[in-house]
Amino acid sequence: MSQTERTIEIFLNDKPIRVTVGHHQTLIEVLQAQGLTGARESCAQGLCGCCTLKVNETLVSGCLFLAVLADGQRVQTIEANEQALDEVQQAFIECGAFQCGYCTPGFIMMVRALLDENPDPSDEDIGHYLSGNLCRCATYPEIIKAVQRAASVRRVPS
Amino acid sequence: MKAFEWEQPRDWGEAISMLDPRDLTVRVMAGGTALMLMMKSGVFQPTRLISLQGLGQEAGAIVQEAQGGIRIGALCSLTALGQSSAVATTAPVIIRTLKTLSNVRVRNVATLGGHLAHADPHMDLPPVMMALGATVKTVGARSSRTLTMSELYRGYYETALEPDELICEIVIPSQVGRSAVYLKCSTRAADDWPTLGVAVNVKCDGDVIEKARIVVSAATEKPIELVAAQTLLEGHSISPSRLNDCAELALAQAPLVSDARGTASYKKELLRVYLKRAIQIALKGTIS
Ligand SMILES: Cc1cc2nc3c(=O)[nH]c(=O)nc-3n(C[C@H](O)[C@H](O)[C@H](O)COP(=O)(O)OP(=O)(O)OC[C@H]3O[C@@H](n4cnc5c(N)ncnc54)[C@H](O)[C@@H]3O)c2cc1C
Ligand code: FES
Ligand code: FES
Repeated sequence: MSQTERTIEIFLNDKPIRVTVGHHQTLIEVLQAQGLTGARESCAQGLCGCCTLKVNETLVSGCLFLAVLADGQRVQTIEANEQALDEVQQAFIECGAFQCGYCTPGFIMMVRALLDENPDPSDEDIGHYLSGNLCRCATYPEIIKAVQRAASVRRVPS
Repeated sequence: MKAFEWEQPRDWGEAISMLDPRDLTVRVMAGGTALMLMMKSGVFQPTRLISLQGLGQEAGAIVQEAQGGIRIGALCSLTALGQSSAVATTAPVIIRTLKTLSNVRVRNVATLGGHLAHADPHMDLPPVMMALGATVKTVGARSSRTLTMSELYRGYYETALEPDELICEIVIPSQVGRSAVYLKCSTRAADDWPTLGVAVNVKCDGDVIEKARIVVSAATEKPIELVAAQTLLEGHSISPSRLNDCAELALAQAPLVSDARGTASYKKELLRVYLKRAIQIALKGTIS
């Protein structure tokens, strides 16, 4: 094997996978090659949030994150737990918080983390936390409503 | 991006031994957020990257010192910095600054050491650290040293660090009795680089300003302490005329540059307004 690539192991959505990656490859490129297309590269510079991934407990921009750094780590994408919709996804549907849907996986990943950190966010908290996510269809008002709805659903013990 | 080699040292010594002072295509990567942008745009093409991510938790720890200062490991993420209670009590200006510094995902990954070493004059924490009187500790192949922020920054994207010298720690002295403010002004989009940054730190005895630090950034090639303007404030209480004189001295002293975000004369007007505002807010913060 040349010195510019190596085989890494990642716990991808809770399943271990082994994959040979070039040191220069981003995590988003490697996941796309695995057929996971929910996180996608758009701005390619950390600004838009379309490539949002969770590495261990940390949200990252997959476009700025080298795949080698994920060696031995847990990586979560929007495709995790695909069988059922969670309260955040449900709220986005009920509030119409998307139009084309290109930005939606990134927003959902961010909102889940926001509500883990802050179960009762103000509209300002939401805007602030999501300032690094862009929606070209400008569904921002609906997104804020969806976050508030998901937060209130989460707060009611089931 | 082009192919390159990858190393993951376990400690600072090993990291330094992997650098090659004659070969600038070998570099360390901390959070990688700044390097990745340069690599993606082709501005920087490494032959080998040395990741600092394997250095362990210690390398990013925040320690509160008995004398009231804090020491921050270079690998501390900007998110960890913003969540630290030691930082919040010692230098709340850092917490306020982080609120509008980039976004959650970048702050999660970016490190304080990488932030300060990158030396882009538009960045937010260099002027803040300069106003706080912070110093950086470095480790190098030949020696280790301590640099003030004014010594660290040489020019546009240029630091005093040797090619085989790294920042391992940032030290912020006690801020007891001081009040610091950072204001930035973005004239294009809200998330564009600022056109001007101003950081002010004052220490007062009653209404007399004992010590003042005034730093300008973004409109200059590097963050700069405006010594004459701050000396004018020291030993006096503030009056409208002294505030005006201070601002005029700052305008005369600051080497403002024209660029895509505005002409130097436009930035002069911004500095006049923002400097007075920052001093007034800082002084309000000293009244307890
Ligand atoms: C989308 C986006 C928005 C941003 N917005 C802002 C903003 O609003 N305000 C702001 O201030 N900044 C902003 N930034 C810049 C950001 O703060 C920097 O990219 C980040 O802090 C760099 O830290 P890092 O650890 O990722 O550095 P790296 O990319 O790892 O390194 C940067 C440079 O420092 C060197 N280096 C790294 N660590 C060390 C060390 N310990 N000793 C010596 N040299 C070292 C590297 O070799 C490289 O040359 C933004 C960046 C992005 C991507
Ligand atoms: S593609 Fe990564 S943040 Fe936009
Ligand atoms: S729904 Fe189209 S970009 Fe957000």
